[in-house]
Amino acid sequence: MAAVAFVIASFTAPQELGTNPQSMFMLLPLTAAIAVIYKATKLPTITAGNFIKETTALFGSIVIFIIITALTLYTLAWLITQ
Amino acid sequence: MERRSKENHALFLLTAGLLAWLIPGAGYFLLKEKKRAVIIFATITLTFCTGLYVGSIGVIDPVASKPWYVAQIMNSPMVAILGHISAGGGFPVYGRPNEVGHIYTGIAGLLNLLCIVNTVYLAHQRRAERSGD
Repeated sequence: MAAVAFVIASFTAPQELGTNPQSMFMLLPLTAAIAVIYKATKLPTITAGNFIKETTALFGSIVIFIIITALTLYTLAWLITQ
Repeated sequence: MERRSKENHALFLLTAGLLAWLIPGAGYFLLKEKKRAVIIFATITLTFCTGLYVGSIGVIDPVASKPWYVAQIMNSPMVAILGHISAGGGFPVYGRPNEVGHIYTGIAGLLNLLCIVNTVYLAHQRRAERSGD
């Protein structure tokens, strides 16, 4: 009973999450969730191997695209401010 | 006879859509797509709970953050109960946890909306194939 109360209580106060570069890693679980749901709705038949392969490919391509976009924006900001 | 069949078809689509909204993945369960149902239920529930854990139930605020609430309620009508609890402003949340909580719970809702639309489409397609249209 105490354990249940503890779990419920943990949802009533926010966690400490600093505004630092490390907090950007919070995008990774969200990207994984998007990749999993998208592939779960689009694949005609779901087998473990095929699903993991497709999801990993989508997850990787989203992350790479985010990195490319971030680098482009960083370079642009650097060129403007120099 | 044909009209009756069309009414049944519309009712089936409505049931599948409502079930998919009530419990994420339940619409696929109705269509006997058990693997899909389990994957979708686990992923959407986990994403939504992560958002609630990081930002607390204060991120579900039907008064101060209405646009986010519209996305969050797509998870399940049960979000309205959480919205009712937190509407009094008893769970204040600011800064990065607020942002992350909103994004996680909102995206989970929008992903469930995608699943609801896909469930209804799949249900329609199955019935159309069965009746030979």
